[in-house]
Amino acid sequence: MRYRVRHVSRYEYGSPVELAAHILHLRPRPLPWQQIVSGEIVAEPSGSRRRDAEDHFGNVVTWLFLDRPHADFIITAESVVEVSYPLPPKVTPAWESIVEAAHGPDAGPAAEFRFDSPMAPSVAETRDFAAISFVKDRPVLDALCDLNRRIYKEFRFRSGVTTISTPVSQVMKRREGVCQDFSHLMVSALRGLGLPARYNSGYIRTKPPPGQKRRQGSDQSHAWVGAWMGPELGWVDLDPTNGIVVHEEHVLLGWGRDYGDVSPVQGVILGGGANHLTVSVDLEPDEVG
Amino acid sequence: MTDNPPPLDEMVDGDSHVRPHWRGVFGTLFSLGHDTLAERAQLLERAFVEEGITSMLPGEQQVNWRCDPIPLILSAEEFAALETGLAQRARLIDAILADIYGPGTLVKSGAIPPDLVYGNPAFLRPCTIAGSDEAPVRHLHVYAADLMRGADGIWRVLADRSDQARGLAYALENRRNLSRIVPEIFQNQQIEPLRPFMETTAEALRALAPDGEGGTALLSGGHSDPLWFEHVLLARELSIGLVEPGDLTIRGGIVYLKTLRGLERISVLLRRQVGSRMDPLELSHSPGPPGLLDAMRAGTVHIVNHPGSALAESPGLAAFLPGIARKILGEDLITPSQATLWLGDGANLRTVLRDLEGWVIQHATDGSSVPVLPTHLTADKRAELAAKVVAKPADYAAMMAPTPSVAPCAMEGGLEPRPIVLRMFLAHDGTTWRAMPGGLARALSHEDAIAGRLPRDALSKDVWVLPDEFAATRFVPAMDSRPLAIRRTAGDLPSRVADNFYWLGRYLERLEEAARLRRALIPRVTRPSASPHERADVELLSACLRAAGVLRAEDTFDHGTVARNAAVLNAFRVDGPMRRQLARVANLAAQLRDRLTGEVHTILTRSLHNLSEAMRKLPADTDPRAVEHASVLTTDILQFSAAIAGLAAENMVRGGGRLFFDFGRRVQRAHALLEQLGQLLAQPPGPVQTGRVEAGLQLALELRDSVITYRARYLAVMQAAPALDLILADEGNPRGLAFQLLAMRDLLRQITEEGDSLVASVDQALRDARALVADVLRAPNQMAAAARLTEPLAELESFIEMIAERVSRRFFTLLPVARSLTTDAEPAELPGAA
Repeated sequence: MRYRVRHVSRYEYGSPVELAAHILHLRPRPLPWQQIVSGEIVAEPSGSRRRDAEDHFGNVVTWLFLDRPHADFIITAESVVEVSYPLPPKVTPAWESIVEAAHGPDAGPAAEFRFDSPMAPSVAETRDFAAISFVKDRPVLDALCDLNRRIYKEFRFRSGVTTISTPVSQVMKRREGVCQDFSHLMVSALRGLGLPARYNSGYIRTKPPPGQKRRQGSDQSHAWVGAWMGPELGWVDLDPTNGIVVHEEHVLLGWGRDYGDVSPVQGVILGGGANHLTVSVDLEPDEVG
Repeated sequence: MTDNPPPLDEMVDGDSHVRPHWRGVFGTLFSLGHDTLAERAQLLERAFVEEGITSMLPGEQQVNWRCDPIPLILSAEEFAALETGLAQRARLIDAILADIYGPGTLVKSGAIPPDLVYGNPAFLRPCTIAGSDEAPVRHLHVYAADLMRGADGIWRVLADRSDQARGLAYALENRRNLSRIVPEIFQNQQIEPLRPFMETTAEALRALAPDGEGGTALLSGGHSDPLWFEHVLLARELSIGLVEPGDLTIRGGIVYLKTLRGLERISVLLRRQVGSRMDPLELSHSPGPPGLLDAMRAGTVHIVNHPGSALAESPGLAAFLPGIARKILGEDLITPSQATLWLGDGANLRTVLRDLEGWVIQHATDGSSVPVLPTHLTADKRAELAAKVVAKPADYAAMMAPTPSVAPCAMEGGLEPRPIVLRMFLAHDGTTWRAMPGGLARALSHEDAIAGRLPRDALSKDVWVLPDEFAATRFVPAMDSRPLAIRRTAGDLPSRVADNFYWLGRYLERLEEAARLRRALIPRVTRPSASPHERADVELLSACLRAAGVLRAEDTFDHGTVARNAAVLNAFRVDGPMRRQLARVANLAAQLRDRLTGEVHTILTRSLHNLSEAMRKLPADTDPRAVEHASVLTTDILQFSAAIAGLAAENMVRGGGRLFFDFGRRVQRAHALLEQLGQLLAQPPGPVQTGRVEAGLQLALELRDSVITYRARYLAVMQAAPALDLILADEGNPRGLAFQLLAMRDLLRQITEEGDSLVASVDQALRDARALVADVLRAPNQMAAAARLTEPLAELESFIEMIAERVSRRFFTLLPVARSLTTDAEPAELPGAA
């Protein structure tokens, strides 16, 4: 499946910003199942310094530094991506053996994702919630899908009730939130069991209602979860907000331990007064392809 | 535990003979005698109090730093062995950091468990991002180790200090004060000097500058940092600037210091700030400056040590150092660690749980956490600790309880052997690692000693290294030294420092003006039967004091002796306005410590200390002599202020801050005299009372120290225009307005271009002041005309304040505080997504 992504962030400042520094995680990460046909970021003003590199997790990052006063700042990221996630395996080992492997010498880079992180620490509330799905000797993918479905069913999607700093224990109590909350919650739950889990940042395609052209800018950034199934099977991506295993509807920007590692736009400004941000995201099948 | 051999004595061998390298000092100690030693110990303690050095114990109340008069002595041979061993450890730690922040093979191969890296808050992920080819290769430039010597005579490392190698300045201060206060012990003993090490280190830091461009600075968290003293001293010893995050700004990937002259490039930063707080862009909750890590990766700035180097201080890592040394250096450790086990390994956990009392339990990744000594816990608490460890074994490391060597300390009852921990300092000179021939030893309580803890009371010791008699070649020949580069620091004054000098000037002047008002007031309120004329004076002076904010509205002088005393003394009591003024001056003096010469700082702190002592000791309001005390105190404050002003004129400041100090004083004096004159000329509603205006002018002259001048010129005839001329327009009156304005103009001319608008504004103020006097002179009734001046005087006052405000904005304006942008918006509902 070939997609065209356009993500526009527009900052309007109350008074001119004198100096600004931004880190962008806005270009999709190249992967065996995600080819990047094209990808670019255009900033207005373009700034005095730009650096592109890979971050600690191998994601594509851009640094932008602006040192002239500016009253607004627009970042447009546009890419064309060919996506075909592999089908999940039919047979998977018992989840306990994955915990053991994660603590052993063969875990490799996956080991990093079993440790607490600021926004997805393991806490008793999420661990107990996960334990219901992770019964003794259950194949890991079965248990993961069950947990994924339970989050989808038992939690209400509702924006505006949480912020990015709402702790997972709070989300457990409220039983509502947005995709970041559900992803953090699931990552936290899996870490509590000793399983490596990572936070994925990206986009999901929105199916237009029949007979209608879909509204521009109705979509936003999305988040879901990567779960480790051992050194042979690797990672599987699960979307607890929609209760599905990721297959062809997602485009991945990057992964990290939690949102803090891969937030699409993060920045520090000097001056600026009150600021106002508008974001629009369009993810459409690419008609040319 | 109990079958441990007795600790080794540093001074005395097993046959009760004084070891050869201690004999010189031992002889001197013996001839000095116990009483003299005890007296010197006290003098030493006082010397540190006067310098305002507080202990570097983390998380505890400020404790005075103490130095034992008896040094710890190392023979040349011993020192050489330690230098070799610690240099190897420094090489090893540098290689470990390079690997962890680079290819990561040590974790991949299992040589370091992932828990000690990925589960370690000191692991800074942004530091793994590859830099340019110009980015610094070396991670570690300065290193310190805490050591103890076991009963077997072997020095072992308790803790590696790879982050900032704190304590170097304390070691230098110990040496300086010891040689001043106990000179006798230095007389018949040759010891290695510390100075060459500092010079080599300073040169090595400077040599790190890419292409030799840009300055070197010590980055400090500022005067709220508990180690601020060390930062100040170290910057001075190394002849480098002391900067705070807010002084730095980054443009185009290059770090600059904001100075009065403009932006000055900085290319080497000696980091004295927590590494995880270096860059708000990539490390959360950091003071900044934003983009510092990007500059580091670009290779335009060297950060010493690397921001992520605290990682190697993790206590659990010690367990793996021998293996890593063999793996990456192909060597065995020369100076080992005190035996340590990481409890994330099941077998280790079982070993430690079998004999918990033989171990010290530490957090595996947090080197600053307090080690716990199970043998000192109750059975319940011990079980609790065991349960905590079993629940999360990977979070803990166990170190075998040490039996440290002892060295004599001068205690109240005579010499007493106390357990010793030794901190040694190393620096990379560009080619190799060198140890400072000295260090910082600390005497421990026995409980802290077995726990391998740093002391909870801060009794430290100077450390001496004896020269090697047989190997003179160890010294670098004088011919090899490179010519010293010429260094100039003037003009590079950070804007923040200039701002602080300006406010120090203003606050000091405010304090002085308040003291002057009080000096005029006190005799008038203490006379047994005051005349109506004097009562009027008291009313006017009270109005001036209230306007200056140094007399509270409820304090009055006509309700009996006790109430009067209270009104006079309240200002000096806790939370009283005079006391607060003094505190402001003291606070600014502390912030400017790095910019004041030692002499000025000593006089400042000593006088401030004496003044606040005198305030504390003021008698109760009921004491008949209470006001007399206040009167003496007032005179003391005037003397203090005069002394500081005199010093400032001569030798106060390094790097040009005096100008702003003077400017602040002038502005404040102009402000105060206009404010006072306005109060003194203010009239109650109704026709002008000539007598009242005259009384006001009399007081104004008195407050300006101008009574004698006036009498000399005009005898006893009081007229408004000549009095106002003396106060406002006479350029020769050092307490008058015109004099202040001329001084302001001269100062501004030094820092501005020809024809600057600021200078023009001061000229305008001068013309305005003259015009006021001329108006009164022309008026048919001078007294009535003077009474109408309150309004124009207030206008002139705000005009001068506006000039000061413009100066402040032009020269001092700090960059606004950096703030994080709220990141992406919350995602909306996903319609139709299944």
